Amino acid sequence: MPIGGFVVTVDPDKVDRVKEMLLAISGAELHGQDEKGNLVLVLDAETSEEMELMTKEIRELPDVLALGLVYFHAEDEVERIEKGEYRPSRSFGRKPV
Amino acid sequence: MGLTRRDFLKRTAAAAAASYIGLRLPFDAPEEAMAADVDSWHIGSCRLCGVGCRVRLGVKDGRAVAIKGVPEARTSMGYLCMKGMLFYKLMGHPERLTTPLYRESKKDEFREISWEEALDIAADRFAKAVKEHGNDSVAYYGSGQALTEETYLFQKVMRAGLQTNNVEGNPRLCMASAVGGYLTSFGADEPIGSYADIEKATCFFIIGSNMAEAHPVIFRRVMRRKLDNRNSVTVINADPRISPTSRIADIHLMFEPGTDLAMLNAMAYVILDEGLADEKFIENYATFRIGKDKKEVTFEDYKEFLADYTPEKAAQICKGNITPEKIRKVARLFARSSATMSMWTMGINQRKRGVWANNMIHNLHILTGQLCKPGADSFSLTGQPNACGGVREGGGLCHILPGHRLVKKEKLRNQVEEAWGVPLGRIPPKPGYHTMAMFSAINQGKIKAIWINCTSPAQSLPNCDLYRKGMAREDCFMVVTDIFPTKTTELANLILPTAFHFEKTGVYGCTERRSQITRKAVDAPGKAMPEVWIVREWALKLAQKLQDPVIEKSVEPFKGLEPDYALPKAIWDEYTQKLTKGRDNDLRGATYEVLEKMADGVQWPAPTEEFALKGGTYKKFVRGIDPLADVHAKDDKPLQFYGPAHPDKKLWVWLRPHKGPEEMPDVQYPFYLSTGRIVDHWHTMSMTGRITELLRANPYAYVEINPSDAKALGIKPGDMVLVESRRGRNILPAKVYEGPVKGMVFVYWHDMDEDRMINRVTKDAYDPGSKEPEFKICACRIEKVSGPKPLKPYIVRM
Repeated sequence: MPIGGFVVTVDPDKVDRVKEMLLAISGAELHGQDEKGNLVLVLDAETSEEMELMTKEIRELPDVLALGLVYFHAEDEVERIEKGEYRPSRSFGRKPV
Repeated sequence: MGLTRRDFLKRTAAAAAASYIGLRLPFDAPEEAMAADVDSWHIGSCRLCGVGCRVRLGVKDGRAVAIKGVPEARTSMGYLCMKGMLFYKLMGHPERLTTPLYRESKKDEFREISWEEALDIAADRFAKAVKEHGNDSVAYYGSGQALTEETYLFQKVMRAGLQTNNVEGNPRLCMASAVGGYLTSFGADEPIGSYADIEKATCFFIIGSNMAEAHPVIFRRVMRRKLDNRNSVTVINADPRISPTSRIADIHLMFEPGTDLAMLNAMAYVILDEGLADEKFIENYATFRIGKDKKEVTFEDYKEFLADYTPEKAAQICKGNITPEKIRKVARLFARSSATMSMWTMGINQRKRGVWANNMIHNLHILTGQLCKPGADSFSLTGQPNACGGVREGGGLCHILPGHRLVKKEKLRNQVEEAWGVPLGRIPPKPGYHTMAMFSAINQGKIKAIWINCTSPAQSLPNCDLYRKGMAREDCFMVVTDIFPTKTTELANLILPTAFHFEKTGVYGCTERRSQITRKAVDAPGKAMPEVWIVREWALKLAQKLQDPVIEKSVEPFKGLEPDYALPKAIWDEYTQKLTKGRDNDLRGATYEVLEKMADGVQWPAPTEEFALKGGTYKKFVRGIDPLADVHAKDDKPLQFYGPAHPDKKLWVWLRPHKGPEEMPDVQYPFYLSTGRIVDHWHTMSMTGRITELLRANPYAYVEINPSDAKALGIKPGDMVLVESRRGRNILPAKVYEGPVKGMVFVYWHDMDEDRMINRVTKDAYDPGSKEPEFKICACRIEKVSGPKPLKPYIVRM
């Protein structure tokens, strides 16, 4: 169950709006902000696939300029790969356009 | 306190992020928490692009379980992107190649063999080719992702051992034009400045680069600079396509593909016409040149030449949203800003006239004196982590030897031969085949044995079907060293499994002349081995089979050394101490000991350890900053352009005409086709395609079509569309999008599926100077073939 620490950079005039949208995402926690439009975000996801989709969603939010990862922990998932319980593969179909 | 492990990890993550923006959180940042959660942290470089981000890999019970940025690194300042976040997953991946595989015929199934047998076969087949068909019937094709020690040792064995200069690498496909541009304009390869200029620049000219997706961590720095100085920093983005990079641009110049040479000349026209040039800088440091024989001409001749490039005329050529007034405005911003930094990548390099395009950007910097001062530079971004360090500096191309030496110069060949202790004249005087010539030679049956290391030309060459035919020939024995099966291993006779990043030790040199070490942190799976061990053992067998003691001599200093640290260290020592001495990329101070002390390595020139420990040279050619500028000073001017390629020690402004692409749209093929990258994937996707999260975000390629073109052709989002050129065809889902300029379509090039492998469609025309192919532009037609269809992603498996 991966956990990531991120700095989200937002247009400083639009911080409040973006914060609302971020907090609406399940598994997202905000831990602080500065006056330059940087937010401290922690994502807690069931799988790294889920986390990837969360980061994609965040990157595409209006007024989010960049999502920078600084810390990522995924020991549980590595164990699952090693035990053969989880095989990184592409067992999925068409991506929604 | 009753804090769960999960809460503990979350606090750790929050504390790490908060520390980046100088924020104190209500709970203590637990440094010990970070330490407690893994057994050890190992510093190294990310290997997924040319930026050179530094990371700490967290290892627990012998495997990689966590990753974090290195805040003190002057490249990335602690940030990573999604590619960087997930690359640890490749290490324990169940599809890693773990044992040597062999088949005599390319029609046979592979069988597992021992290393002893594998190396014997490889040596036997190369020796046989040399004996029966001569030295130039063998070749090495390497990679900008190989470590410097690997590229250096491969080319040494090929040149000194097998006496051929058939040494090439995939950087030919991505940055050869940048090399050509730097050498011809500034007299020396690689950028003058550094990333550190970003925080001092007041005007950014980003052309032919979607850095938001291809170099996200550097883009973050540019974005931060703009956001913090909204009114005093200008961002100009020049690209035929609106990309995520355009989001922060004040001005977006959108032109038809391949017309930017006219625009760049028109900017120079405006600079001179409106008196915006730095006449004193030009007088002190520049001369003007024309033609193949580099004839010197006058400033007046240049002005006369530019008379043909009025903004009015250029705007007519460029079309899109280009107007004469826009060209004037951009030229004024470029010239008048206190510090202008240009940045580009493949949009400029992968062109029939890529070197000229590079020259024209450099021209603007020379004319305006936007060089060698804080924040001002003409800065080419690199795609791969070690194209600069390993291939450009370490001798990984057919015409260059280690230390930026040209093969064709006898004096320079002799220097290398002496350093290696091999007989003078051992290195042949003629450069080998460049990449496209090498694969053409395979098609013609001239190459009987080739070693392909850490790259997949079967997918990455333009017009790849043509060259796959050659690689499939039974009379061309192919060895491939890699960590995963690829389109190229499918055509191999012998597949050798290699150790991945952090499973071996070595140095990468990133975009800004910076060399950084990554030490082994975990064991490679199965029987996978570091390339340096593979090459050494192979060379020893070659020496026996060809009964040639000079081959053995080429690996003599490295015999018996253990492969995880002592062996690469000895190779690095030989390269830096013997072959960079007296050269512009002097790395003698960047010993392993020094590199291991530095969070972010060393920028050359760095002639002494004392100087290297301060970080090296932030800006070349400036006295007081670059030690070689003092060593080579020929007068008392503050700048000294001592580069090896310009005997007059001046910057050269080139008179280069506008020239369009090799293939223009016509009645039959009315669209421009361009290709590029997406943030989640890296090259041929053999690595990133195996990381589910990345693949899931973008499971297959699609074709981007401008809404007005889509409407005219009745194409709706998701429809399956034929993209066909004179060479091949793809069928891809459509993304209708206000991205590409009208009349142009755009396809990402990572997909391995035969229907969506866009290099079956691209053109293999190449720049006559740099020999870099024109991936970016060809003519195609598009047609709706059906409505949306379910698709499956595809990855090569054994």
